[in-house]
Amino acid sequence: MTRHLAPPRMDRRQLLKLGLGAGAAGLLPLAGLEATTVPTRAHIVILGGGAAGMAMANRLAMRLSGARITVVEPREIHHYQPGWTLVACGVWHPDRTLRSNADFMPRGIDWIRQPAVGVDAEQRRVSLADGSIAEYDYLVVATGLQLNYHLIDGMSPELIGSHGIGSVYASLEGATRTRDAIDEWLARGSGQGLFTAAPTPVKCAGAPLKMTFTTLSRIKDTGRRDAFRLDYLTPGEAMFSQPWVDDFLKRRFDDEGVQRRHHYRLSAIDPGARQAEFTFVGPASEFTSHHELRQAEFGREGEMTEVIDYDFIHVVPPMSAPDVIRESDLIAREGPFRGEWLDTDIHTLQHNRYPEVFGIGDVIGAPINKTAASVKAQAPVVEANLLAQLQGQALPARHNGYTSCPLITDIGKAMLVEFGYDNDMAFLPSFSFIDPKEESWVAWVLKDYLLQPAYYAMLEGRV
Amino acid sequence: MNFTLSGILAVLSHAIPPFLPLILALLALLVIAQLLGRLRGYRFTAYRCVPATIVALLAGLSTLWWLPQLTGSRLAFVATATDWAALVAAALGVALLTWLVLHPLSYLVRGPRRY
Ligand SMILES: Cc1cc2nc3c(=O)[nH]c(=O)nc-3n(C[C@H](O)[C@H](O)[C@H](O)COP(=O)(O)OP(=O)(O)OC[C@H]3O[C@@H](n4cnc5c(N)ncnc54)[C@H](O)[C@@H]3O)c2cc1C
Repeated sequence: MTRHLAPPRMDRRQLLKLGLGAGAAGLLPLAGLEATTVPTRAHIVILGGGAAGMAMANRLAMRLSGARITVVEPREIHHYQPGWTLVACGVWHPDRTLRSNADFMPRGIDWIRQPAVGVDAEQRRVSLADGSIAEYDYLVVATGLQLNYHLIDGMSPELIGSHGIGSVYASLEGATRTRDAIDEWLARGSGQGLFTAAPTPVKCAGAPLKMTFTTLSRIKDTGRRDAFRLDYLTPGEAMFSQPWVDDFLKRRFDDEGVQRRHHYRLSAIDPGARQAEFTFVGPASEFTSHHELRQAEFGREGEMTEVIDYDFIHVVPPMSAPDVIRESDLIAREGPFRGEWLDTDIHTLQHNRYPEVFGIGDVIGAPINKTAASVKAQAPVVEANLLAQLQGQALPARHNGYTSCPLITDIGKAMLVEFGYDNDMAFLPSFSFIDPKEESWVAWVLKDYLLQPAYYAMLEGRV
Repeated sequence: MNFTLSGILAVLSHAIPPFLPLILALLALLVIAQLLGRLRGYRFTAYRCVPATIVALLAGLSTLWWLPQLTGSRLAFVATATDWAALVAAALGVALLTWLVLHPLSYLVRGPRRY
């Protein structure tokens, strides 16, 4: 099915929004309105319509005239995943994270409501679940990542919410059932809680820490702190990529009596017995927050293991690019991301071997950067570079690795940690009046009330 | 990460709608109180009401307690200079709004008195 980009039609909601913005925006010249559109007959396929794919669909729909844009996205519902930590600690109702994808999908594009099952980068073809093929001139890979629960023996997402197992990452339902599992543990009045981290890059690397802090906060509210034991088990020596924050977290965990156990990887779980097996990852295979552990090495024999009883465990699964990308030519073939993540230049976000392919969001091979905040920084870069590629020009834009984590340190306060991979993970604060090194109520209010509107504006390509 | 004016407006277009009924209700209260008072001859420079001022100040002061609670937090977590600036600004806003509503309403109840 081919359709050229039609002039955008607007429904009442969109008109109202534009009116609200235009009312005040009329006072000042707007950079966005100065951007010219680029005429093209190219067919651009965007794989995935999550945070990154949707932002790109809107940006490209605004900047290209005559192009054919296709979004391949099987889901009707859009999930605001950064809200899941707030769901799992009982602060948000789950419904607050849901919107319809149709609310954000730009008019005049093709929306293929099924998953891609293969990519042939040589032939520039995407295979779809129903057996049909979408050919492209340019491809934007925005499939997000895959949660590999199966790499933990005995673990599956269906177990979340039962046998004291929680995992905020699995899904909205998983986050809700994690909340229930924590409620159940707190109702017991005592016991051992294990909070794990993964031996791979993960989306929102702060989420396992936030789950520890918010659970601790709830435990303290029960007035029985001493009856609960919390252990944080992580494969690496570091708990966080940003060095200052890493030090802060270690000190805070020590002060709060949360036992830190480094070089521990969750390798198996026995739900019935409420026991978890950890494999000791010795200093020889030193982990950092951007690990180089390969899946094939997960099952190495002769490693030391330790079995630990738990009343509650928060499981963080290993993560990788989805199989559809891992099994394609697009996967990294060498370097730290080989076999696991999309092979992109971490600054231009262009594929390292296929110049007509760009990557954005969780799927790309980058040392940090798996956050919606990173997507906000990456989207203008991919837009500018793809347009330049399309016009045969040098790529003008460069991503500095910006990422942000509103690190909740207690229910009611947070640190707005923003940094990037340029300049040794130096802080990149957006607001001069918010110190990334300070815990603050305002940062909590931002997380609770303002980041979700900012995320939706990003989906619309407006920030 | 820099925000342009258009970006800020885009964010506000998503942030404000859930609070629109509350904002409109407060605005209506303010306009109605001021209108009713002025129709009966109220001028805020020519009328003093100490109780209305005290209640407004108390309402502002109470903000320090209930606003952090309302946001799922607590006063103890209001720690940085920015936190305090935001909270004090909110408290002043609540005090001013309360005063702008109560002052003309008290005029309607008590009639024109000059102290
Ligand atoms: C618990 C949790 C807390 C988080 N907290 C924060 C936070 O505080 N701040 C922050 O900035 N970020 C946070 N994030 C991370 C943020 O949500 C992600 O980084 C962001 O959603 C990445 O966008 P994406 O488009 O790459 O992936 P996604 O948003 O996951 O979208 C990927 C899309 O691709 C589609 N897709 C997948 N496979 C295929 C296929 N084969 N064919 C077609 N479509 C496919 C999916 O259906 C999905 O819609 C959090 C995430 C989680 C899970």
